[in-house]
Amino acid sequence: MAPLTRKAAIVGGNRIPFARSNSAYAQASNQDMLTATLDGLVARFGLQGERVGEVVAGAVLKHSRDFNLTREAVLGSRLSAATPAYDVQQACGTGLEAVVLVANKIALGQLKSGIAGGVDTTSDAPLAIHDEMRRVLIALGSARTLRQRLEALAGVRPGMFVPETPRNAEPRTGLSMGDHQAITTKQWGISREEQDELAVRSHQNLAAAYDRGFFDDLVTPYLGLTRDENLRPDTSVEKLAKLAPVFGKDDPDATMTAANSTPLSDGASAVLLASDEWAASRGLPVLAHFVDAQTAAVDYTHGGEGLLMAPAYAVPVLLARNGLTLQDVDYYEIHEAFASTVLATLKAWEDPAFCKERLGLDAPLGAIDRSKLNVNGSSLAAGHPFAATGGRIVASLAKQLHEAGPGTRGLISICAAGGQGVVAILES
Amino acid sequence: MARTELGSAPSMPVLFARAAVTARGRGGDLPDTRLARTGVRVAAVDLAAYDRVCGFPLADPLPAPYPHVLTFPLQVALMSDRAFPLALPGLVHVRNRIEVLRPVGADEALDLEVWAERFARHRSGATVDLCASVAAGGAEVWRSRSTYLARGATAPEGAPESDLAVSVGDLERPVATWRVPDDAGRRYARVSGDVNPIHLSGLTAKAFGFKRAIAHGMWVKARALAALSGRLPDATAVDVVFRRPLFLPSTVTLATAPVDGGWDLAVRNAASGVEHLVGTVRPLP
Repeated sequence: MAPLTRKAAIVGGNRIPFARSNSAYAQASNQDMLTATLDGLVARFGLQGERVGEVVAGAVLKHSRDFNLTREAVLGSRLSAATPAYDVQQACGTGLEAVVLVANKIALGQLKSGIAGGVDTTSDAPLAIHDEMRRVLIALGSARTLRQRLEALAGVRPGMFVPETPRNAEPRTGLSMGDHQAITTKQWGISREEQDELAVRSHQNLAAAYDRGFFDDLVTPYLGLTRDENLRPDTSVEKLAKLAPVFGKDDPDATMTAANSTPLSDGASAVLLASDEWAASRGLPVLAHFVDAQTAAVDYTHGGEGLLMAPAYAVPVLLARNGLTLQDVDYYEIHEAFASTVLATLKAWEDPAFCKERLGLDAPLGAIDRSKLNVNGSSLAAGHPFAATGGRIVASLAKQLHEAGPGTRGLISICAAGGQGVVAILES
Repeated sequence: MARTELGSAPSMPVLFARAAVTARGRGGDLPDTRLARTGVRVAAVDLAAYDRVCGFPLADPLPAPYPHVLTFPLQVALMSDRAFPLALPGLVHVRNRIEVLRPVGADEALDLEVWAERFARHRSGATVDLCASVAAGGAEVWRSRSTYLARGATAPEGAPESDLAVSVGDLERPVATWRVPDDAGRRYARVSGDVNPIHLSGLTAKAFGFKRAIAHGMWVKARALAALSGRLPDATAVDVVFRRPLFLPSTVTLATAPVDGGWDLAVRNAASGVEHLVGTVRPLP
């Protein structure tokens, strides 16, 4: 009997260079960037006027008018207008979750092809009217008499004219993500030097990847940018050592700076997935296959776990299901939300107590070969437009695996707000 | 032929004012003058503002009508000059043909040149074509021909008949309805520099014989093309005639039909069906 599922192929990807907040893409909306990214993918793989099975993407910071963001981007793109699309949102896990959704439908035979992506802008951010003002306006809208209208308007106070800006803070704790991570950093005893070294390596690896042309078929220039704006090829541990901490500042030994934390950024990414047959019928390559994925979540409010530690829980489940050890991986892509997120995750996997008590494992997962980690740079250097990071990682890891040859295996780990994590395995 | 190069874009309010005070006593043939600017760069904020007003996505290839915003001030400079035979106030834009020879990048340095030609006879006056050519890297990438009607004017002896024929097929099916607000003229004026008073307010429009402010024809054209984003050929000719003024505010419909690898389109008043714009989009070889 034929197998009921097949592994989805990753054909390739496209993204625009990531920009720093309020810089090169200050005038661009999420829809502009997602449309440009889709059009770049269309151009790269000859999809003009074609109907792709589905386009799945999302944004973390989203205007209410963008309820159908992905479909609207498809309609403005060169894809066939008969291409279905839907939005997803799982904070910084959005992009990878979109890939999981498309890959699973391909695996089940429900789709022959699909595009997964994500976009975010911190420049063109949605502003909401003050919540009390919103209630006044709703009451005003439903008022039927002059008296009711006047009563509704009587509720207006001067402070209500100040709009609400989206905050990078957890609603349940009031702490910013960086301040949350500062707690984890201290808990795991991650030093400033380790964090700065990881940041410098991210810049060096990304710069080297650009220099060897690795991104030539992964990135399409946009609005004058040809490389990620945050990239500092000439940075050094000495330079980074001079920066003042920005998170966990109540602690005199605070270690997290603007350099070992990802900057607010703008950008978009997209990945083309398909069945092997669909790719072959169009003469398109298969860079890698999407093997499996896992999500996890932690109780960071009352449960004593770090906000960004969920991937540490998801990875062992994923590995066990696939009969793999942590060391059976050739390339690790651990999203650098903060340098210390990566380092705390690696330390946790080496820690017998954590692995036994929290993960319920008999033995720790153990250490990894650091030379296989984020080999083409990651978010500290590239920037991190929240929902765009998953697509960036999937496309570049798939290409890396393809270059390394058949049977090469890659692991992706992405932490997300709300104490969640999305992890996945790719294989060439 | 005289070719004058301008160092910067001329001030449009100044030109419109000059054209108004020098409107009388004009005549003769078209000037043999070309106005040019070289190495013109598009400012990202200007493009983004234009895109927002017209409905284009912010992308690297310029929207097909965008170079018109760059060449239009030179055309106004030409028309407001005393040597130009027709008075600018009262000129009506009746036809516009744009040819995009290849997609033009927003970061390319552009060389602009404009001139006037084809002084022609029209049943209610005379028409003249204001032409523009845009080059990048020494090769022409974009050109346009804007035909203006001067009612009551007389074309020179032996002038040809004016050509305002753009034929479209059946366009019965409206595909979209737009509410065009009463500030549409002011909004497009801000991003295009076309501060012709007939577009700015009811009062200023009345002074020039219109009952209300009217939308810029080039905005209507741009808005229609924006509705076809992602569905336009890379190299394309967009040829439209502006039939009746679009009074502000109005509700209009867009009708489209795919024809010969391009489109036929019409913008009409939603209630009366009066045609504001009819045109064709065709791929260029």
